[in-house]
Amino acid sequence: MANPYSILKTCACLLCFVFLLIGCTSSPVKVTHRVSNVEIKQMQFQPASLTVQKGDTIVWINHDIVAHDVTEQAGKLWTSGPLAPGESWSLVVTKSADYYCSIHVVMKGKLIVQ
Amino acid sequence: MKIIKSVKVFASVAIASAIISVPVFGQENTRLSDAEIASVAVTANQIDIEYAQIAQKKSKNADVLRFAETMAKDHQSVIDQAVALATKLGVTPKDNATTKSFLEGAAKTKAMLNSTNGNAFNKAYIDNEVAYHKAAINEVENVLIPDATNSELKSLLQSALPLFKAHLAHAEMVQKEFNK
Ligand SMILES: [Cu+2]
Repeated sequence: MANPYSILKTCACLLCFVFLLIGCTSSPVKVTHRVSNVEIKQMQFQPASLTVQKGDTIVWINHDIVAHDVTEQAGKLWTSGPLAPGESWSLVVTKSADYYCSIHVVMKGKLIVQ
Repeated sequence: MKIIKSVKVFASVAIASAIISVPVFGQENTRLSDAEIASVAVTANQIDIEYAQIAQKKSKNADVLRFAETMAKDHQSVIDQAVALATKLGVTPKDNATTKSFLEGAAKTKAMLNSTNGNAFNKAYIDNEVAYHKAAINEVENVLIPDATNSELKSLLQSALPLFKAHLAHAEMVQKEFNK
């Protein structure tokens, strides 16, 4: 038998869910985080420079025949680790960054957060 | 000075052999078959892996070691894909004059690399990588791609081209460290 407390909890959850639904449908003007792709092909990040909003997600996809990585350049604050051919990696961007491939150091890219 | 000279000689021999390899050896057919192209591709990539292994043994320079690691990995990837494709197509890589001239050049270069040490080694290795990638790019661009008949083989070679060009740019970047 369910105790009254857990019934209360279930009700609260449902209520929250309903409010969430209403929230989603009635106010689409809220924050819209977008997803942008960066293709890694022919030893280049394409586009090499990308302007995004804070909170956007960037997805890097490796189309090349060798492994690459995506590494923040100034302080190695983040890195994808090696991405085998066909693999992808995503990051939620919070601030502008120069990045590069630490395997092929001549490959460079830039994220500009507006 | 002698090292630089021998690297230069090797590079020009490699470039020359890439351009005129087949006629020099007096074969009737001037065009490489897909089986011969597969052999050249595997051999040329294998040679650069062997140079990288020498560097991994002898160098203590972080940039040289990182470059060598990339060479070993990337050229192995190309070999793996060339072998997989040859297997799929039922093609057995076939030795030829170009393969032979690559191997002869490599034997001399490896002997030269093995006889140098310290910073002289770093410089000799990276100078050779610059020359070798220039020769390889020339070979792929002007001989292997035009000669390839199978479209998948041609496409693999076309994918290797920007890779080798990036390797060349990377090698030239490291080279600056030793030309100060
Ligand atoms: Cu890379």
